Amino acid sequence: MLLNLIKRPHWSFGALLIALCLLPGWVLAADMGNCLLCHKYPGLSRIDNDGKMKLMFVNEEIFNKSVHSKVKCEGCHTDITKIPHEPAKPVDCLTVCHIIEPTSEQKFSHKSVKTFIDESVHSKIDQEGKLKKFSEDMPTCKDCHDNPLFRPLAFVKKVRPGIAEDAMGRCRVCHEKEDFIFRFYNHITTRLHKSRSPLNVAEACGKCHDDKALVKRHGLTVMAGSSYAETFHGKAANLLSETIPDCLDCHVVKGKSVHQMYGNDDPRSSTHPENRGAICNSVDCHPKASVKFANYQVHPVFNKDQSPVVYWFTTFFYVLTGGTLLPLMIILFLDLLRRLFPNATFRRRK
Amino acid sequence: MKNFLTKIYILAFMALVTYFGVIIWNLTFAHLIHEYHERHAGNVEYSEEDIAQQEKDKMSFEQVILKSEKRVKNYLGYRVLEQQYIKGHFHHIGFDVGPDKYSYCSSCHGDMPHDNVTKDMRAFLNMHAFFIGCQTCHSRPEGEMTTGVYQWYDRETGEIVSSPVNDASPGTYKAKIIPFVLENDALVRIDSKERIEFVAQYRLNEKDLSEGQRSKAKKLIHSVVSKKPVMCEECHSKENPLLPLENLGYSKRRVDSITSTEVVGMIKNYTKFYMPQMLHPGVADDAVQQEQVQQATPVVPVASESAAPDAKHQAAGEAEE
Repeated sequence: MLLNLIKRPHWSFGALLIALCLLPGWVLAADMGNCLLCHKYPGLSRIDNDGKMKLMFVNEEIFNKSVHSKVKCEGCHTDITKIPHEPAKPVDCLTVCHIIEPTSEQKFSHKSVKTFIDESVHSKIDQEGKLKKFSEDMPTCKDCHDNPLFRPLAFVKKVRPGIAEDAMGRCRVCHEKEDFIFRFYNHITTRLHKSRSPLNVAEACGKCHDDKALVKRHGLTVMAGSSYAETFHGKAANLLSETIPDCLDCHVVKGKSVHQMYGNDDPRSSTHPENRGAICNSVDCHPKASVKFANYQVHPVFNKDQSPVVYWFTTFFYVLTGGTLLPLMIILFLDLLRRLFPNATFRRRK
Repeated sequence: MKNFLTKIYILAFMALVTYFGVIIWNLTFAHLIHEYHERHAGNVEYSEEDIAQQEKDKMSFEQVILKSEKRVKNYLGYRVLEQQYIKGHFHHIGFDVGPDKYSYCSSCHGDMPHDNVTKDMRAFLNMHAFFIGCQTCHSRPEGEMTTGVYQWYDRETGEIVSSPVNDASPGTYKAKIIPFVLENDALVRIDSKERIEFVAQYRLNEKDLSEGQRSKAKKLIHSVVSKKPVMCEECHSKENPLLPLENLGYSKRRVDSITSTEVVGMIKNYTKFYMPQMLHPGVADDAVQQEQVQQATPVVPVASESAAPDAKHQAAGEAEE
């Protein structure tokens, strides 16, 4: 955008420079084009022809706490090169942006993710490169991801969520730029644990895996999200436990990316019957767990044909609970009825 | 008396026991019966009827409109970020864009009313509609009615409130600007209680009105709407801006920003490229302009959308094509 303005000398370039000088360092990081001049307004919105709400508002405070905080607006919205601009085109997440990847010193892009996805169970294409049946159901980036936010951790006396000022103080001894310290700290500590809470992960997967029609179309046996919610793991996740396993802990091979997820029948998959033992007996979970333990019904559904053990076990408790409490309620009701009508009787009075 | 109270107590207790009984039934045996029927329905997992019903439900008014405003929570550990869920939206909102519950215009036209003006302007206009009352731009009091007085009203209650501008981030106010006019020598809000009541009555009785009555009511409701709305540069101007920004609580820094060359210049650019088509549909020459004309409404004021619904739908239909 700046280049465009330089090529076409324009009075607004001067104004833009003045505006940039007045902007705080945070804004300079991403908003070089002063896009927030308009996009800071929460009402910047419209309803499109399909009846969907389009919100063009960018919350600067939250954006600055996201992993993309250093990426300029035009780094993703590459089609916007001037103001006024046409309606923005959808962002291509594989775009090469201006960020330099420090280990390779090359410009950064998410292109490797596409390679992973194309080989994964979520790929739109099969091994021969042809479109899969119902390929339109396969997720695109934004089906699973919104702008990822930092989830910093403090490690001082104990591990807790948030930023440790003590640690930041140590950084400031050598490093001067506050935004660098903030971002580096956030990036590292976020990567040292789950980048999303187990509940948020299950919700993200459930968007598709709890869709009855989609589950049926793809021949899946269970609704993964809702059946996970029925398990001990799911219930703990619902109570916001951070240590409980979520979908990714079991379905992603250790050391691999979440984008490298394979079907249960793929030998590379962590959930392949021969690999399942390694899921549960990891040192963080159940170290002494056997393969048999790992092969238990993880996504139980209350159905006699599908999960007979779960069915009979649950039925027993249903009958026990209902069979105890319902008669109790009936007896209480009858007792109250007698107290209400102490002299009532079906017998004929003599 | 004691006897009567005892009876009441027993009856209440019986109701409670029944209530618990139903809950226990639903939590236990009802599950068994449901599973039995589902298993014997033919398809153990999800029957075709289930799926068809699910697809049908997705398109129901309840799902599409009433339940469409889902909310999501992002658990960040140190903070829970709760916000409205918009499918496919990448950036976090972190701010609730609540509805204007007081405006009688919004009751028909909604909170994002500018959807038929030129493609490139509608979001800007909606952005302003978030903190500027419709009448501020779409009504031009004439002659003795003009006062130049504007104040903020609460989006929720409609009450006149003090300026929310001071500490808030630009445009994030829970209040909107409304003009005041002179009526019978008294300074009153343009959205008087009588007008609000009139619109409420119209909406209540709309179905029972004849075509003529409906048309008459709409004309009266929109009688305050001027043919030409207030244009951007009438406020974004250093010289005699329409809105008394400083009186509305804007600091000098904010006023300078609103009337800065940066903003005014951008408006000029937008006006040059897009506004002519918006105000004079049909005069464009090239193909691009023709496309913009197709998407523009015949007349911009909000009133035109209600007064000529057929024309509006026709224009929208053309744009979709």
